[in-house]
Amino acid sequence: MNLTRNPSLTEQLAASYALGTLRGGARRRFEALARTHASVRAAALIWQGRLASVSELQSQEAPSPAVWKRIENLVNADRQARAMQAARQAPAAVSGAGWWASLGLWRGVSAAGAMAAVVAVITGLNLNTQLDGQVQALSAKLAATPEIRYVAVLADDKSAPSVLVTYDPKHSQLQLKHVGEFHPAPDKSLQLWALPQAGGPRSLGVLGEGMVVRLPAGTGDVNQVPALAISLEAKGGVPFGSGPNGPVLFKGALLQTAL
Amino acid sequence: MNAESPDTQLIALIDRVALADESALKELYEMTSSKLYGVAVRVVSNKGWAEDVLQEAFINIWRIAGDYKASLSPPMAWMCLIVRSRGLDFLRRRRSDRADAVQELDDVLSDTLEGDSANPMDTALAGEQAWALHQCLSQLDNKQREVVSLAYLRDLSHGELAEQLKLPLGTVKTWIRRGLEQLRGCMSRFA
Repeated sequence: MNLTRNPSLTEQLAASYALGTLRGGARRRFEALARTHASVRAAALIWQGRLASVSELQSQEAPSPAVWKRIENLVNADRQARAMQAARQAPAAVSGAGWWASLGLWRGVSAAGAMAAVVAVITGLNLNTQLDGQVQALSAKLAATPEIRYVAVLADDKSAPSVLVTYDPKHSQLQLKHVGEFHPAPDKSLQLWALPQAGGPRSLGVLGEGMVVRLPAGTGDVNQVPALAISLEAKGGVPFGSGPNGPVLFKGALLQTAL
Repeated sequence: MNAESPDTQLIALIDRVALADESALKELYEMTSSKLYGVAVRVVSNKGWAEDVLQEAFINIWRIAGDYKASLSPPMAWMCLIVRSRGLDFLRRRRSDRADAVQELDDVLSDTLEGDSANPMDTALAGEQAWALHQCLSQLDNKQREVVSLAYLRDLSHGELAEQLKLPLGTVKTWIRRGLEQLRGCMSRFA
């Protein structure tokens, strides 16, 4: 049966696909058709948009005021971490002192290593009370130092390393660093996927621009995930719930660090 | 000025959040948190968990607001999608942590379907597309509407719905098929 000549069946399948009740082999066959036939793809996208509105129609309910307080605290911590990151990336601007520049070396060292360095520096600095301000700055830097629990090197089809991925559970954050030459065309986006042992790829987010990209991710997103992959998608990536549409450009094993 | 539509206001706020403007995040929270909390409660069916989900969703919005520009979704749909994704993640994490989580869901779900009083729909802040869906969902039988909504919100299969709602599998399949058929006929008029 040719699905593309049966618009009513196409619609029916697209609706079940978007609702999520089309499962297993039927879902994979539909996805394969959608990749080759624009009309099937369009029907799926239309239904995804329509059903997304189900969420918008749910009744309202006021959350406890404590929730905003918690968000505010986390946002403050996030801002501080970003400011510290910026300070670390421009070490000369923080102080005219030459030794300060060596702090740039901290980038990439483990939290444990940084801890030892800070203790050593603080011990030295305590001799001179004028440096109190710098001690505070260093302590704040320590709090902002990422802890690396997982690492992955994603390689292209020629096994050339292209993207370095690290996961920091302390900040619930994945950091991706482009180490290859690849840049997507302006109308394309790169999307990161977890490849769990069972089930299809799960989106971890769409990569923004720049050499270094950060994506929020809970430990549940990366636990028990043996590998990651990056696919090339239309601008903005594929919507939640669908698998990758475009080609997989890079992939690699996700390894737990020894720490 | 009432001339500004909620969508325009929300988009302007999201743009400011993308520039790390905390006061914009607070305004966005004040405008949308009740709506989004309602979504979270429906997805995870536990108020305490829903608060965690709402918190995660707003931290997510704070970090990825810059990506909104690349999305073609209306702002409320975009935020609802984030809440639903975080809610589903939360349930997945919990299911792997605790086997009894499904039991807790069961109780809430069977309450939901008891009697004919369906969850009322709420169109506050809803975009144009949501209005169309609202019109079409209103024409469905209460139980059909509820099963279709839950299938979507909680990403449940026919089998999972039947199990959790304690309904025969055939009934669930029929309700969903008829519900989607009716929606198809109705939504095509809004295209």
